[in-house]
Amino acid sequence: MKITSYARTLHELSILKDQGYTEVILEPKSLARFGKLSNDEFLGLANRAKELGLRVLLEWDILMTEDVFMSKITDIKTLFPHADALRVQDPGALYWAVENTDKPLQFIAENGNHNLKALQGWIELASGRMERIILSIELAKTTIDEYVKTLKVPCELLGFGRILLFYTPRPLLSALVPEKIAVNQEYAAIGESEESPHKGFPLVENQHGTFMFHIKEFCLVEYAHELKAMGLSYFRIDQRFETSFLDEISTLVKKFDPTHFEAFKENYHQDLMRGFYFVNKTDVLFPKLKNTRLQKREGDYVGEVLEVMKGSHLAIMVKNPRGLTKTDILKILHPKGEIFETKIYSLKNLELEDVTSIPQGKVALIQFFDGIWPKSQVFYI
Amino acid sequence: MSTLTKLPEVLAPAGSLDKLKIAVLYGANAVYVGGQKFGLRTAAENFTLDELKEGMTFAHDRGAKVYVVLNSFLHDKDLAELPEFVKYLEEIGTDAVIVSDLGVVKSVREFSTIQIHISTQASTLNVQSALLWKKAGATRIVLGREVSVKEAGKIKREAQIEIEMFIHGSMCMAYSGHCVISNFTQGRDSNRGGCAHSCRFEYSIDGLDTLEKKKAFFMSSKDLEGLRVLPAFIEEGIDSLKIEGRMKSHLYAGTMSKVYSEALKFYADHGHFLSDDMAKWEAELGKVSHRTYTQANLVEKAGANSIFNERENSVEGDWEVVGNVIDAGPKMGIVIEVRNAFNQGDELEIIPFTGDVIKVTASEIMDITMKPVTRTRPTTLARLPYVKGVESMHLIRQRVKE
Repeated sequence: MKITSYARTLHELSILKDQGYTEVILEPKSLARFGKLSNDEFLGLANRAKELGLRVLLEWDILMTEDVFMSKITDIKTLFPHADALRVQDPGALYWAVENTDKPLQFIAENGNHNLKALQGWIELASGRMERIILSIELAKTTIDEYVKTLKVPCELLGFGRILLFYTPRPLLSALVPEKIAVNQEYAAIGESEESPHKGFPLVENQHGTFMFHIKEFCLVEYAHELKAMGLSYFRIDQRFETSFLDEISTLVKKFDPTHFEAFKENYHQDLMRGFYFVNKTDVLFPKLKNTRLQKREGDYVGEVLEVMKGSHLAIMVKNPRGLTKTDILKILHPKGEIFETKIYSLKNLELEDVTSIPQGKVALIQFFDGIWPKSQVFYI
Repeated sequence: MSTLTKLPEVLAPAGSLDKLKIAVLYGANAVYVGGQKFGLRTAAENFTLDELKEGMTFAHDRGAKVYVVLNSFLHDKDLAELPEFVKYLEEIGTDAVIVSDLGVVKSVREFSTIQIHISTQASTLNVQSALLWKKAGATRIVLGREVSVKEAGKIKREAQIEIEMFIHGSMCMAYSGHCVISNFTQGRDSNRGGCAHSCRFEYSIDGLDTLEKKKAFFMSSKDLEGLRVLPAFIEEGIDSLKIEGRMKSHLYAGTMSKVYSEALKFYADHGHFLSDDMAKWEAELGKVSHRTYTQANLVEKAGANSIFNERENSVEGDWEVVGNVIDAGPKMGIVIEVRNAFNQGDELEIIPFTGDVIKVTASEIMDITMKPVTRTRPTTLARLPYVKGVESMHLIRQRVKE
């Protein structure tokens, strides 16, 4: 397993070289979400990286509406010849690169892409040019293990860095500053929500939009050996917002030392988390988001109680094409879960006529039955 | 109107079978619905298999189409359950499925011949991206809400694929599918239907060029409203205009379907929108509960004035639904399923499927046993004297009382 990371300065390049990296991710300001490099700076760093024997990966990870996309073509045509591979996230950038370039491509599948079929699909769409897939950090380790072993291209995973929670092209922070000082000025801030126990979300606004990160940073340093054993090809360290720890984290990944790691965590400016590395249960709360007793409408479903008039009647909207007949026996499911059973002793229509049946789409008035609420669901027995 | 001009379809949300019927009856050309799984509205009522079949028949009998959302970012275990559902959807005549995950696209193609629409959740924003999804098997793209109508027209022309755009409703502030706040702060996968709407919270912002912390709902977007952009949608040849809101009310589904379909019908008849009715249609849109409206990115890029920097309870709209007509006839009167109480003497508006509202005064109210009452309660049935033209499923509203 190799380590990969970003560089914005010659000093960072030299750290990567000294730590034994074989590649570097460079981010032009115009193409990358958090890019800082002008095109000239990119070219200078790319040349120096090559002199140091580092492969240059060009990051083009912004999402682009059509007008923005067209405005980037010149930059990408200028810069890509000086890189060894291109990293993209917008599917349009992937398609364009497949059609208009001939170098290796890396697809950032960090957003969604939580099934093998999708990942295999991206590889197929790259027409044999995909040299790497960057996996989502929402995958649990058993899934990572399966994907790494199954996919036919090398996989990369964020191993250390900020967790991006939110990305919009709209300028949300500058809107809060009374007088804008300059167009495209960058803003950084910390946000806390009154309705969430989490405080201290890092916020960034730049020319590409506004970004919010998790209050903790993602860290799988202590599991690097596991990832290596699985066959993960690249462990990415992201220190773009605090570069002074790049050297130390690289050392820990290469040779994990628990004592050193504890000391590192003490010194590090943010709390760390492993996210969903052990298990992803982000769907277990879903059944609690609605009253499933109100949702049981399959099979012998008759309809719903619309009104309960004490001592008089239950009004039932008949929804089953079979309709409701006086000989039916009913099971009524209360919204709180209680189940009642009853025969029909009285059946009237809305004109208060005694009838023997009520068709679908009409309201049936049956005798009052104590304990039933409106919204109760009615079934045939 | 030129005979060559094809008008876009009005695509309405249908969170339940009742809402589907209401949307279709009020003029929607198509509706989008969710089954019990695979969509992004876990908390919505959604459709059972039987209801999907019934909804399909109801819509098709009236010339409307039904699209089923499968737009979650599915995990492997979810994907394993998909083929059976897809086969069922094909069997009952589903017109298209709405998908955002490439794995789902592949599965749908593997197990059916249903048309595939790429969900806005996939944030398709440019020609190249549309070409990629077309290559993957899509027949329509629901563009990301960051795209202007002009850009959309170019995407349609150059990618040669059907284009659908949102014209109305709530908006994600983030690129759709690119927000995982709920996943990491609430343990609920926003891209599998568990969005906790954290973007609507108030945040304290510290560290800007100001001395004090700023309190703001800075991630909350105003609601989209594109009525006056209709000429541009038509000019650019957009195929479908989507109304957001499967979780929203019957009144919303009906009003939006009626307003946008009537506006397009006016254009079909006259070839322009130069009508006094434009003000009427706008007023109708204003009568449904909403955040402040914006055209967002439809014409120019959404800026600071597209932020809804207010609490969620400060939504606008001074009308509320009273209920919907369950049945009506000279003998039984107008039978209403009451959702919000009204009293004797209240002025009510009954909204017909087409044409102007029918204003009635609730001078005589009876309960279902024909006993006179002076006030009604929610979750009861009430009768009003019969008014000619009033039909089952008509919606009734009243001005919100002070």
